[in-house]
Amino acid sequence: MAINRQKIIEDMSKIEVVGNEDGLVPAFNVFVTQLPGALWNTFAERLTRKVGPDLLEAAEWLLVNAAHECGYHTGYGIITSDEWKAVVEPMIENVPEDILHGAFAVFTAWGWAKAEIIELIPGEKMVVRAYDYYESDVVEYGKSEKPSAYMIRGVSAAFMDLAYGGTYDPDGKIGLRTFQCVQTKGIECGNDYGEFVITKV
Amino acid sequence: MTTIKKLQYEINHNFDEKNARHFVNGFVSVLHCHHYSTLYAQLADDAELLDGKALLVSSTQDVFYSVLKKYFQDNGISCLKQRIIVTEQYYSACGLGKLTVVSAGADSGDVILTRSHVDEGWIKKWGKREKPVNFLTQGFIAAAFSSFFDLPSGSFEVVENQSIVAGAEKSKFTVIRK
Repeated sequence: MAINRQKIIEDMSKIEVVGNEDGLVPAFNVFVTQLPGALWNTFAERLTRKVGPDLLEAAEWLLVNAAHECGYHTGYGIITSDEWKAVVEPMIENVPEDILHGAFAVFTAWGWAKAEIIELIPGEKMVVRAYDYYESDVVEYGKSEKPSAYMIRGVSAAFMDLAYGGTYDPDGKIGLRTFQCVQTKGIECGNDYGEFVITKV
Repeated sequence: MTTIKKLQYEINHNFDEKNARHFVNGFVSVLHCHHYSTLYAQLADDAELLDGKALLVSSTQDVFYSVLKKYFQDNGISCLKQRIIVTEQYYSACGLGKLTVVSAGADSGDVILTRSHVDEGWIKKWGKREKPVNFLTQGFIAAAFSSFFDLPSGSFEVVENQSIVAGAEKSKFTVIRK
């Protein structure tokens, strides 16, 4: 693998995101915000605690789906961006596997999670480990029975969609949700790291 | 006549390499796109049984209240006008759009948006719709007014009366003390 993960993190973590004169950040073919991680955590945690056991799975699916669509569209914007072309593209030898490794380095650089791929079966399965992630902040003492990394689940599945789900579809009608992700470990659940298994739907 | 310095909201941004986290003025911060924010808004809107809209407004309100309160404290900003200017600039710096506080008092206020991440993102993703979707900004404004007047979080109710997502040139919000 030619991907220099450390260099990507060093370079991509330096990108400053701030609103333009209209207070907007049009980038990577989407509008971007730079907001406190607690904002997303607070809503997700309050919703999933309030919803009750019967509807928990449905609520979690919707939270994961928000990240899945975000990861699919923004992920495509990232891997076709000038920043990507300058920093990551020269390192790519094996497509799409190196793109996936590069994408998780960017994922880390942008503060979503300190995450990397630990197993990859092309077109079939990926296992991601996250050693730190803001979604684990929902538990500050003890451990929760409920894994809470909905964003990592969605974005990880989206990256596999982009890698193996066929041509990118701006409408998301095909290519999106060809993979799904299950969180098998979580820092918020008392594990040393979060673990995510992504498989074909 | 008192001249108030046109404050600039200052962004103190650092990246913690060990844990790969970005901090903006001491708060863990993350980038997300309009797909994410609008799907959260849609989820809140759909979750009628749980009053999802109120849940998103209160979640947003509590977080922004902490952010604004800390910023005012850390920077010694006690003047109402200065607090408003900084808050408007903070809103824009986050990429949420262009917000103007038209009037503010301890019991009421008016706020407009001339650009909106959530509304414009919603239109880009799904097109226009009649009902408001900017619950995130409702929470932001509620937090802002509570912090302007050193009141506890949740002291204000915010109603969106006119929306960019519905085709209006600007969104209008009315702020009412609870």
